Amino acid sequence: MLAIALEELTKTYPGGKQAVRQVSLSLEEGEVFGFLGPNGAGKTTTVKLLTGMLRPSAGSCRVFGLDPAAEPEKVHALSGVVTEHAQMYDNLSGMQNLCFYASLFGIPEAEGKRRAAALLRQLDLEEAGERKLGAYSTGMRQKLSLARAMLPGPKVLFLDEPTSGLDPESTQAVNRMIQETAQEMGTTVFLCTHQLRYAQEICTRYGLLEEGRLLAFGTLDGLRASVLPGATLHICAEGMPDGLMARQTGKRTYEMSVNTEEEVPAVVRRIVEAGGAVYSVALKHPSLEDIYFALTGKKEENGHEPCDAVAHEKGF
Amino acid sequence: MNRAMLSLMKKDFKGITANRRLFSAILIVPLVLTVFLPSLFIVLIHFAPDDPDFQSLAGMLPQSLQGGSLEMTIAGLVLNYIMPLFFLMIPIMTASVMAASSFVGEKERRTLETLLYSPLSLKQIFRAKVAASFLLSMLVSFLSFFAMLVVVEAELFFLAGGLLLPGASWAAILLLVSPAISLIAVTLIVRRSAKAQSVEESQQGAVFLIVPVILLVTGQFSGVLLVSVWLLLGIGAVCALLAWLLLKSAMGKFTYEMLLK
Repeated sequence: MLAIALEELTKTYPGGKQAVRQVSLSLEEGEVFGFLGPNGAGKTTTVKLLTGMLRPSAGSCRVFGLDPAAEPEKVHALSGVVTEHAQMYDNLSGMQNLCFYASLFGIPEAEGKRRAAALLRQLDLEEAGERKLGAYSTGMRQKLSLARAMLPGPKVLFLDEPTSGLDPESTQAVNRMIQETAQEMGTTVFLCTHQLRYAQEICTRYGLLEEGRLLAFGTLDGLRASVLPGATLHICAEGMPDGLMARQTGKRTYEMSVNTEEEVPAVVRRIVEAGGAVYSVALKHPSLEDIYFALTGKKEENGHEPCDAVAHEKGF
Repeated sequence: MNRAMLSLMKKDFKGITANRRLFSAILIVPLVLTVFLPSLFIVLIHFAPDDPDFQSLAGMLPQSLQGGSLEMTIAGLVLNYIMPLFFLMIPIMTASVMAASSFVGEKERRTLETLLYSPLSLKQIFRAKVAASFLLSMLVSFLSFFAMLVVVEAELFFLAGGLLLPGASWAAILLLVSPAISLIAVTLIVRRSAKAQSVEESQQGAVFLIVPVILLVTGQFSGVLLVSVWLLLGIGAVCALLAWLLLKSAMGKFTYEMLLK
């Protein structure tokens, strides 16, 4: 069964703002999906539609076959949600907060405590567990929210900017935890972020969103092949032969475009055979950031949606 | 009522008792109305000079209201005819503070959204919160009544040398009018809470409930109206019906979208 399925999902707010426009995509169980785009792209609205907090204006969405608009509480029983606006109680300690939410999910008291203690330990909040939430820093609150979302052992995690406000160490810990949860427990992760580099570290598939429209959907390799095929070869060498289409970027540094990595040995051979000295060679594939800017750049240049083709080709 | 709903109610109770400002607001009104006010009346009655006009006025009262001495007669009137009406402020006030804190307070503190992501349906969340506000209101009402009884009886015993039994009007107030009026206050606050952005804004809905209580108190004091047990039972029945209708209409009204606006 598909974990998440969106079909022509559209949300227009009462003021007329179209936050999500005909987005279609589907995710298998256990995937870590990065839903990427700038602030205001429609990521949070999509999460709210998937959790039944909003009703779609057109189209539909399903979470493990359930319609969130019709059966929100059944969807909630399967999901853990972290959003900026979903806070916990300042007058309760971290542990008390987690135990309270565990009880809402029908988890027995002793089991709730055990799970809460394990999560607090995993997220390095063990000492802060008995402290009132009012004394927590933004990063600690964010980590506790993640612990709350993971507490019932959800089948799907909706994480909206889960690492905002976290220091690099905590970000790494959170990343590790998300990956482990997906791998070990088969949890599907729907991760919304505008931090493309962060997403590239942990996601298995990506959806790039801009102004409510899905620009592209697929794996990183798939997106590279569709949007920015080829790679850039960075060479540090002396005695570069003429005729090699390399652009000099420094005293001994050059870069050139290649289509496949099979071309690399031939390039190195040409330099060496021409009497040049090769100090280092690095092949760099386009990052998510490169792909995203290529997509949004193309759109501006051509004035149409170049990536619909990508979205349709890769996604459905 | 399942375990999750019970733990939500428990959390709401804890939220009120942990908040010093709200807890003192809930305690002060009952203390003034059930300890300070009756004590003031009793002391005034005790130290008031014997006025023959007043004595002849008390003599015109029905035999059932005559309490032996003039002091006991007037104290009986205050306890059974004046205090029950003042007492109605307690459930209105307690229910308003609790309901506003547990609905709009959650919205203000951004904890409502987290609650909505739980497997409880909107109706279950609504029921648990209404029940928590109602139960606290009833608890405070009963405790206030017993506190008042202890204080009044002790004062009468030491000052007038006798004890007074609370009349049937108290049964009507405690068992019918107070619960009904609490539910009305809770439901009015909850109905407003969908649109209200602050606790104060949501409480405005229940403020006008105080008006009929003030009218009853004024009527009773001035003698325009005699609030008998039958009148109280009638008021209680109407309030209970109104509470049921309001509750029923409010239950189906909410959507997630409306609450998170």
